[in-house]
Amino acid sequence: MIGTPLDILPYVRGVQLILVGYNGYTKGSRLENDKMVREEITRATTRVRSHMQNVFDSQFKGGNVDVARAAKQCMEECDYLIEDVAKAVSGMEHAFLSGQRSPTNKDLKKLIKHDNEVIEMVTKGVNLANSSEHSIATEEGNSKQIVMQTTQMISSCRGFFAERTRVLAGLKQKK
Amino acid sequence: MNEFRWRDSPDTIARLVNAENIQTLSKQQVMLKPNEACAMIIDGRIGDILSETLLKSMAGGFSRWIGDKMGITANDRRLLFAMTGPMDYWIPFEGQIADGEKAKGYTNLRLRMNLEDVPKLLNYFANNAPTLTRDGLISIIADEVNARVVTPCLASCTSASGLRDASFLERFEMTAESEMRNLLSNLGFTLLKAFPITNPTDMELVQKHRAAVQAKTAGTEANVEAQLAHYAQTEALTISRIELETNVARAKARGQVTIELEAELKDVRAKEANWEAERNHERGKMELRVDEADAKTKRAMDMFAEVQGRKSNRIANQQNFQNQRMENQNDFQTKMMEMAADNGALTAEVMQEFLRQQTAQKAVDGAGSESVNNSPKVCSCGTGLSPGWKACPSCGTPIA
Repeated sequence: MIGTPLDILPYVRGVQLILVGYNGYTKGSRLENDKMVREEITRATTRVRSHMQNVFDSQFKGGNVDVARAAKQCMEECDYLIEDVAKAVSGMEHAFLSGQRSPTNKDLKKLIKHDNEVIEMVTKGVNLANSSEHSIATEEGNSKQIVMQTTQMISSCRGFFAERTRVLAGLKQKK
Repeated sequence: MNEFRWRDSPDTIARLVNAENIQTLSKQQVMLKPNEACAMIIDGRIGDILSETLLKSMAGGFSRWIGDKMGITANDRRLLFAMTGPMDYWIPFEGQIADGEKAKGYTNLRLRMNLEDVPKLLNYFANNAPTLTRDGLISIIADEVNARVVTPCLASCTSASGLRDASFLERFEMTAESEMRNLLSNLGFTLLKAFPITNPTDMELVQKHRAAVQAKTAGTEANVEAQLAHYAQTEALTISRIELETNVARAKARGQVTIELEAELKDVRAKEANWEAERNHERGKMELRVDEADAKTKRAMDMFAEVQGRKSNRIANQQNFQNQRMENQNDFQTKMMEMAADNGALTAEVMQEFLRQQTAQKAVDGAGSESVNNSPKVCSCGTGLSPGWKACPSCGTPIA
């Protein structure tokens, strides 16, 4: 993709607000963009895990095993997502020599849109994790419910991120 | 360009390499896979942390050499390589549970290293050899794991069976997560999973032996029961076979007897038929005789009735004649009396004479009617005979 199409410009701008240097998979910088997105997801997930660690520590030491168990489950879910992201495919370089087909603008648009959405989703997870910790600190609201919502959000992120693999897998066969 | 291999054993976790020590004539490159990371420490400060890349011109080569000579490159370059992917570590432990029983086993820790945590390994390399292996890490964290995680968890376990309880495993993992964070975080590791693998305790071995003995005993009992059942089955089978043979023999004998009886029955039936024919013949003859006797009796009865009829007629004729004669006599005497009366000759003597003659006449009439002998007779067969009968009505014997 030489230039950035107008219809995906809002998505690129949305990602650029978080990732400085992201340019929407322009030619020659696709691997770097892919790595940036994955590192951002990992970073956000690590933030969720840190919040959940705090929740776990306070609840486990306070004897509230129910919430501690939920927080531990959320931490495990974060670990799974981090591992998924770390070992995810990137592809797309040297398409001619590797036997892959070159990505079309449609593919790249789909990828950029997906990047934006998955980052938004992980950010929601971070907010939820922050809320759960805040809820425990202020003893307001149902903290266990918020922790479990965080787990659900991270789990959804895993599923949603897996779609990225499907998009990239479509590039592996020449039409 | 040479390929630099920083890891030559699966047990190697991390390695701190001084770039000065790997200077060669040709350039060296390192391939960093997704589960490998390299933190570059340039002149004492942490530079970039790389992964999933081909690290070209890492060391060696003419450009590096000339750069060093001209002083335009860093004076000190160190490369910190590390494995980031999840790895398992087995830490042996030995402790006591609440009832004093000894428990031995291994604690399994699954650790991961985040990319940004790789430089924390410098805390380790500051006081240790530049290569971190699995055993090296275990030697560092083992004491703390045993002191902070294993011992408290075992102390809270009341029995050996509790070591295999799911709640114990969960408590163990939570304790490890909480208590080991400080040390692991300092070293740059993140705990993913922790669980104990305990060997069977002495009491468990005793229970295992007891269970094995019980199982063996139960097996022996089962074999004995099966053998007894087999014997019982064989016995029942033999008895059934003997009964069957007996029944067959009995049936054969019964069949033989039946055949003989049937033969005898046939003879008896033939004799019965013969006797029936003879009886019918005799009955016919007897019926003939009876009919003949009946005919004779009928004829005798008819003859008797005829005689009686004739006798009655004769007696009636006699009686009529007598009555007629008596009437004529009476008419005559009346006429005589009337004549006597008319003539005045009816005296007492005449009357007396008249009565005397009349009485005499009656006597004569009476004697004439009683001339027949009416004395009853009895036949030789016992049947009473009336006067005038010529034969016995029962047996037909003629009466003399």
